[in-house]
Amino acid sequence: MRSLKTTALLAAAAMALAACGGGGSGGDASGDKVKLRFSYWGSDSRQKLTEQVIAAFEKKNPTIDVVGEFSDWPSYYESLATKVAANDAPDVMTIEIRGLAEYAGRGALSDLTGKVNTADLDPQVLASGSVDGKQYAIPTGVNVFSMLANKATIEKAGQKLPDDKTWTWDEFVSLSQKITAGGDGSVYGAEYNFNPAYLTIFAAQRGEKFYDNGKIGITPDTLKAWWATFTKLIETKGSPDAAKMGEIAAAGQEQSLIATNKGAFGMWWSNQLGAMAKSSGQELTLLRLPKLPDATNAGMFLQPAMHWTASSKSEHAAEAHKFIDFLINDPEAGGLLLSDRGLPINSKVLEAIKSKLPPADQQTLTFLDSVKSELSPVVVPPKGGSKMEDILKRYSEAVTSGQQSPDEAATKLLEEANAALAG
Amino acid sequence: MSGLDPCRGPAVVDSLSLKSAVATEPHAPKGRRRRTGVNRSRREALTAYVFLAPWFVGLFLITIGPIAASLYLSFTDYSLLDEAKWVGLDNYTTMFEQDPRFWTSLKVTTIYVVVSVPLQLGFALGLALLLDRGLRGLSFYRSIYYLPSLLGGSVAIAILWRKIFGADGLVNSVLGLFGIQGTSYVNNPDTALGTLILLHVWTFGAPMVIFLAGLRQIPRSYYEAAAVDGATTLRQFKTITLPLLTPIIFFNLVLEVIKSFQSFTQSFIVSNGSGGPNDSTLFYTLYLYVNGFKEYEMGYASALAWVLVLIIAGLTGVNFLASKYWVFYGDSK
Repeated sequence: MRSLKTTALLAAAAMALAACGGGGSGGDASGDKVKLRFSYWGSDSRQKLTEQVIAAFEKKNPTIDVVGEFSDWPSYYESLATKVAANDAPDVMTIEIRGLAEYAGRGALSDLTGKVNTADLDPQVLASGSVDGKQYAIPTGVNVFSMLANKATIEKAGQKLPDDKTWTWDEFVSLSQKITAGGDGSVYGAEYNFNPAYLTIFAAQRGEKFYDNGKIGITPDTLKAWWATFTKLIETKGSPDAAKMGEIAAAGQEQSLIATNKGAFGMWWSNQLGAMAKSSGQELTLLRLPKLPDATNAGMFLQPAMHWTASSKSEHAAEAHKFIDFLINDPEAGGLLLSDRGLPINSKVLEAIKSKLPPADQQTLTFLDSVKSELSPVVVPPKGGSKMEDILKRYSEAVTSGQQSPDEAATKLLEEANAALAG
Repeated sequence: MSGLDPCRGPAVVDSLSLKSAVATEPHAPKGRRRRTGVNRSRREALTAYVFLAPWFVGLFLITIGPIAASLYLSFTDYSLLDEAKWVGLDNYTTMFEQDPRFWTSLKVTTIYVVVSVPLQLGFALGLALLLDRGLRGLSFYRSIYYLPSLLGGSVAIAILWRKIFGADGLVNSVLGLFGIQGTSYVNNPDTALGTLILLHVWTFGAPMVIFLAGLRQIPRSYYEAAAVDGATTLRQFKTITLPLLTPIIFFNLVLEVIKSFQSFTQSFIVSNGSGGPNDSTLFYTLYLYVNGFKEYEMGYASALAWVLVLIIAGLTGVNFLASKYWVFYGDSK
């Protein structure tokens, strides 16, 4: 009687234990379908969009079951890196350009050369997905870092929209000052940011490359000149003070001065135009970034929004290639994704969906066409490049808030950035 | 690190002993009839182990295993993406010799602990003394003051903090009434850490409740005797309350030093995960996290974690050593 009870107890405990370790081993109910895991980040609307694309793919490929693994941006790399570390990498992964060298260099990605049809893709942009001559990644689409301008705000302050073919950084600063001064006190001329893309463009106008042979190619003088733009903006009240600007930057895109209708200028990626115009409720114009008076080069470049990659450990490589191929080459996929992951770089897809694009994207497309001849090739950050954004932000904050002299900050920034590249 | 958490240890022990007690009890009276004592106790032990098993599994898989793994990883170069490579003491020498941000994070955390813990404990003691005077509705006030301790480490409060001390936040709105135009306190390198210290002081409820319990332990007769002898309230506080309360103060001090050295959420949320502006709120644990998960330096992050363990163990040791000179236990001389 009692031994029966003990046995029952043991059995119960064993069952409880089994329950702890359970899950996962169940296998797929869908029979012999291949399960393909696909990870990406973004907003809720992107998730809905992506689910539609997945459904379209599964319809054409009934034997493949694509499972989207979705997270928000701040935690994306954490969970992805953990999965890769645990030998549990998703078959198809979305990666942006700064993480590319990291993942490719550490053998997490498989070479897609010849596996995915890239014949119709813009070769210059496609090159951004290549590391050491191997096509580890296919760009999803492109953006360009540009100036967003709110024409109504500018005119309300009694100023005119500048001619972006000729305007200089000094004119940008003084125009911002006049807009703040001419407004009712609630509006600023410009907001600024420390985006590496901005510094890349600024340095290119001085003939310097951000990355040069595995080192930082930017001189201390360029950094100081770059920072001088911010300090001038702050001093002349063309921009909010450093602390407030930091707060705005931390609050995200929807809280930016442009989006909340409290600023005339802001530098953003071109794909943000639609969202910004929507939240501000005003018509926004895309402009070229200002230039240095003696610049030989506009410095602007096409930046891939993200990259599609396949895991090197995937057991379903063929299916993964098929899915990536569908995402970049199929007009149906293009028609669903539109410009969500940048404007398509597949000329045939772009032609097919052009008329379907919302007005903001049409505007971006026109802008891209008009600046096409001035663009520089895209820069792929080397390993360690993912740290640049943080380094740049830290020292720029120290300078704009007056905690560190530009001289000291420039020296230390280059030291730390070069150390990060050296790994 | 969780192995050091003083709050967790006792809770686990309690539930363990409780479970085994419950498990063995029903068998006790029946066993007396037929089996010998030795046999019975062995069976009881077996039953106990069966019930303990889930906790043992948890202890080894979730606590001791990862701790051991991180000790190994601290001697490697491990990027999460590929295999860990043994590098010996490299991580540790880099930390002390070539990493200025390590020292920054240590400095920021030390300032945070040294300023906020005494302030918080002082505040907690002061309020406990007030509440102990036999206020009506004591349990209501106790609950109200305890609330921040429950919420203080939460994400929601950190976000609230960002709003209160932001450029258009509550503080500046109030200052605005007096014609003062403030800046964004959480984004100003000079004031950002101050707002986090304030947040920590605000969570004085937990030590306050412990102080209250401690005050209740002091026999009233001491005060009556002192009052008969004509001692003033201040004198009573200095010669009766304070000495008899030192063990409680010591307990709170040890607990809060450990806890605040491990603070993470506040800085992570208020600074948006960057420890900014300009590293002014770069807590040690935040720097550890950034290294591990943002910069793929998991080996280095593990080394940082072990240095933190040593720092906290050292501080706690110093605390215990120093306690000999100021803590008064009623039963010793």
